Amino acid sequence: MADQPTAGRSKAIRRLKWAMRAFGQLTWGMGTGLLALITFVLGIAVAISSLVGVGILLIRPWLVLLRAVADLERSRLTNQGYEVISPYEQLPQRLRDCLEVVRTDQTTQRDLMWLPVHATWGLIASFFGFQAGINVLREISFPLWWHLLPADEATTLNGLIRVNDWSGAAFSVALGVVWLAVFLFLNPAIVQATAAPGLRLLTAHPDVDLTARIAQLTTTRAAALDAHAVELRRIERALHDGAQNRLVGVAMLTGAAQEALRRDSDSAEAMMEQAHAAAEQALAELRSVVRGILPPILEDRGLAGALNALASSCAVECSVDVDVPVRCPASVESTAYFAAAEALTNISKHSGAYRATLTVRRSQGSLLVVVDDDGRGGAKMDAGSGLAGISRRVAAHDGRTEIQSPVGGPTRIEVELPCGL
Amino acid sequence: MRVVIAEDDALLREGLALILRSEGMEVVAAVEDGELFLTAVEEHHPDVAVLDVRMPPTHTDEGIRAAVAARRSIPDLPVLVLSAYVEQAFATDLLGAGARGIGYMLKERVGRVSAFVSALSRVVDGGTVIDPEVVSQLFARQQGADRLKTLTPRERDVLAVMAEGLGNSAIAERLCVTGNAVHKHIRSIFDKLDLPPDHESDRRVAAVLRYLEGT
Repeated sequence: MADQPTAGRSKAIRRLKWAMRAFGQLTWGMGTGLLALITFVLGIAVAISSLVGVGILLIRPWLVLLRAVADLERSRLTNQGYEVISPYEQLPQRLRDCLEVVRTDQTTQRDLMWLPVHATWGLIASFFGFQAGINVLREISFPLWWHLLPADEATTLNGLIRVNDWSGAAFSVALGVVWLAVFLFLNPAIVQATAAPGLRLLTAHPDVDLTARIAQLTTTRAAALDAHAVELRRIERALHDGAQNRLVGVAMLTGAAQEALRRDSDSAEAMMEQAHAAAEQALAELRSVVRGILPPILEDRGLAGALNALASSCAVECSVDVDVPVRCPASVESTAYFAAAEALTNISKHSGAYRATLTVRRSQGSLLVVVDDDGRGGAKMDAGSGLAGISRRVAAHDGRTEIQSPVGGPTRIEVELPCGL
Repeated sequence: MRVVIAEDDALLREGLALILRSEGMEVVAAVEDGELFLTAVEEHHPDVAVLDVRMPPTHTDEGIRAAVAARRSIPDLPVLVLSAYVEQAFATDLLGAGARGIGYMLKERVGRVSAFVSALSRVVDGGTVIDPEVVSQLFARQQGADRLKTLTPRERDVLAVMAEGLGNSAIAERLCVTGNAVHKHIRSIFDKLDLPPDHESDRRVAAVLRYLEGT
């Protein structure tokens, strides 16, 4: 008997929590709805200006925006427990290919269908639910403050009804109770209703399947494992042929020197000298292996400091411009560092350049490294070359490497590495 | 004693030649890969060959293959293989075509010059010398070896030292036991590994082989 009211209370608390969650969802939905509306209007502007030509240039940036907005809605849906995976493949760089994406890519077309629905229905319904929550507080508390307002300015029901006396205030409280009912019982349904278009259109089309995306991820994963294996082999080889052999040399020479000491000390001294040199070489090899795994300077001074140090030791005059407000994952930073190092090595060895510039930016969850020089060009990604190694390492991060190097120059090497949001 | 050396690292090659020369041996050729090694062996017919496992071009098991090939063309050529790390599978490959006059040791053992030289002479005399590291690897892995598992820890010690090619008295000295005790252990090892009474030294080699194959 005693726990019946408790059960009732816990039910009420559950209902209230549910309503609060729905309110949060609707606030979020209002945000994505507003963004969808802006994107939609911009889209129309881009479409119209494309007819006269200029707008074509804006198609790719607009698609990037569309995807960002759709992804926000996807994370809202995922937050509701539906898990909607972003099904995109990378946008092509060239304009014509972007047009092709708009025309043929099923995912993009579904995004385009979703956009006006969410910009209208989604926005309006979410806003209704949002203001229901606000009005509960406003109108129930109305009798407490309405008389503080100047006469004729106190209104209720979103300014539709003017309140001049206490009966009006009582009416407002009654309205507040209705809003409370909406807040508690209708809002969860509105959440469902505003999610529906997204659930239908933002998920991967059954034909698109995620096969292509999975295949791509599998490939890059294989590339990651491959790059990993190559890296391990490189380290093993460096340790085995370098430091380990030098140390065996030390053991051998000191042993021989011991033997020699028994006969004549002169040759023993020469051997000790050799052993000493071998020990120093072993240390130098170990340092270079360690540096090759994760450059200590990267740990100490971050990407900007490490790249500045790299540039200042470059034979060609090199200006560095790094604008990366937050640090990226260590593996991304070290790949960026090695890519820059390889590019600068190539410049000082082969390009004949006078000047080089190294630019690093972070945008939309990826790190962009651009190395330019004014040399003679003709750089290629031949198998076995340092650039090919870099490209493999970058591909392992699901990134891309681009080399523009016409014969006669100039050369631009671009590396883009996704580094999470 | 005439020796052919194959080692791709110049410092180690020179060091090895230096040590062998200072021990009064004649280094007739010191080469840097497996193919040059085979040519040198055919040409010089040395008393013993010392070679590295990892050599150009692939830096994997060139030394093992060169050693096996050399013994195919010159049967019973004593060969001592040195390696920066030991791998039981390599030892098994090496001993597959007969264990007489075969050694397989860690490179750094060369620094203990007198032990190295005596191991080398055991190989020249037709003995089998297996690095204790291979032996400990075998037990660390605890593989197969039902019959090996029946050996007592002491018998394993004796077998391990036997793998280094040492005789009864040397084993006794190393393990600080009497010659009689060693004799008893060895008898027991032969029994447990089911090696028929045959020529004594062949049985020792067979025991070591059993051991390496882990059967």
